[in-house]
Amino acid sequence: MKRPVQTLLLALTGAGLLHTALFTDIYLRYVKAGLRPLLIASGVVLLLLGLAAAVTRRPAPEDPEDAHGHDHVGDAHGHDHVGDAHGHDQVRDAHGHDHSGAPRIAWLLFLPALSLLLHAPPALGAYTAARSNDKPVAVQKGFAPLPATSPLPLTLTDFTKRVQQDRGRAIKNRAVRLTGFVTPAGEDGGWYLTRIIFSCCAADSQTVKVRVYGSEAPPADTWLAVTGTWHPRGTLGTRTAEAALDVRDARPVAPPVNAYTDDLPLTPS
Amino acid sequence: MEKTDELVGVAEGAATVALGPPVRRVRPRPLGAALALTAGATAVLLLAGTAWLHHPAVQAWHTVCLAITVQALPFLLLGTALSGAINAFVPADLFTRVLPKRPALAVPVAGAAGAILPGCECASVPVASSLIRRGVTPAAAFAFLLSAPAVNPVVLTATAVAFPGSPAMVAARLVASLATAALMGWLWLWLGKEEWLRPLLRHRHTGHRHGHSRWTEFRLGFQHDFLHAGGFLVLGAMAAATFNIAVPRSVLDTFSGSPWLSVLFLAGLAVLLAVCSEADAFVAASLTGFSPTARLAFLVVGPMVDVKLIALQAGTFGRAFAWRFSTATTVVAVAVSVLTGGVLL
Repeated sequence: MKRPVQTLLLALTGAGLLHTALFTDIYLRYVKAGLRPLLIASGVVLLLLGLAAAVTRRPAPEDPEDAHGHDHVGDAHGHDHVGDAHGHDQVRDAHGHDHSGAPRIAWLLFLPALSLLLHAPPALGAYTAARSNDKPVAVQKGFAPLPATSPLPLTLTDFTKRVQQDRGRAIKNRAVRLTGFVTPAGEDGGWYLTRIIFSCCAADSQTVKVRVYGSEAPPADTWLAVTGTWHPRGTLGTRTAEAALDVRDARPVAPPVNAYTDDLPLTPS
Repeated sequence: MEKTDELVGVAEGAATVALGPPVRRVRPRPLGAALALTAGATAVLLLAGTAWLHHPAVQAWHTVCLAITVQALPFLLLGTALSGAINAFVPADLFTRVLPKRPALAVPVAGAAGAILPGCECASVPVASSLIRRGVTPAAAFAFLLSAPAVNPVVLTATAVAFPGSPAMVAARLVASLATAALMGWLWLWLGKEEWLRPLLRHRHTGHRHGHSRWTEFRLGFQHDFLHAGGFLVLGAMAAATFNIAVPRSVLDTFSGSPWLSVLFLAGLAVLLAVCSEADAFVAASLTGFSPTARLAFLVVGPMVDVKLIALQAGTFGRAFAWRFSTATTVVAVAVSVLTGGVLL
């Protein structure tokens, strides 16, 4: 890989990272929010590296004769200088053993860089949720009384805990509002309200689901705020109770900024 | 994505042929080729973006692949910066002075030193390679390479958070990871051959050279290591994303019944999924159907061997090394996990 291409690649990768993490919220589709400072710092470092590579001139005596006479010596001893001259790359590539010029594999880095800049794929959605296990819900010992607000905004996890673990059955007959996206249940035309959660990046995603009864399945991946009451199935307050909702009202909402946490939704600014 | 891939390869081949010795002095040509390539890749992305790019499986693959790459880039950058700094600024004899003279003793010391590199596995590969180039015995560098992603405070804290109320899991992970790293270092002393490593690593002629600016050496080394490892990272991320999409999580439960099969299955899963070591404890915690020992195997194997790491190691140390080392590490890690799990969990 030639020096100008390396420069371009470094700058593009840096720009891609800054584009996703600094100027937009796109990075939240792929990694946890806490990585943002690291991504911005990486973008700046890569841009600086690219800039430094662009402005530094190669030392004068390294031109043609050097490129011819010196590189075989360099090869044999294995201590040729990194990116000495692009003539070296050529010879090395032709001989099929690259020692220290940026090797061909680096071309692959163009893919994520361009993808970040031009074609950022959407956040994970119903396709992934339909194929994953439910995230196990942590056991909670005591439950505080529910606030009197109606409908009461709850996260999918909190709703599941209330249904399956709260012996006081405070959730009974309460109107709650849950936010998530639609995942079709498949077999019977039913559907789930789902959130995908990840602890580091989209590769370790986990899914929380609440079954929704009483309405036709909206298109997959639609973000909804659903108001309703617990769908009585099983014994409330025990493991037999299904985390399910009888829907009264479902209205489309914009995907929240924090789509990858099971928190109450933050609407995009 | 495969389509774009091919295009890149073809375009590169063409550039190499076209820029043979006679035209080598023409300066603007490489930049022109790069621009043409970029434009071509963009066009392919935009045109192909009509149909198959929008299939949910392809989109999910693209998302996971990009997520693994983006998540790993800062750590890879940290690792390659450290590696560049070690090459350019650290005196050649520092490591040989600090580490015990006898390689058999240097191995466990280097393994324990892994605790000071916070971050996940991508950072430790370039650092280990620069340690070898600075004269550290490869066995000790490999012990460091294996232990660093698993025993640093960030990862152990994440493990404690993911397994609330079972500190034994944190202890078991620490003990099993250190033991595996040390055993692999000693195994290398016993059976390892230097000719499996790439020639550059064998000759050890790198480092600061008199009359060159240390800063320039640092920058060029950093840049080269990053581009090199970054390419392999993308390759590994592609492989990991493929398995991530192809293996639905609901398949897992079928293997959870048998204690022996489940250990092997989760070890294999750790290799294929390539989850970052800072997050794998959360994945392990979600595999509720499996025994604690099987989950420990997942936590011990994951940071040491996975498809992303195999790609990085093949690029950094050479292919002959990578497959031998990864196979041996998997076997040792599973055995150590079973023993540790039997005692502690």
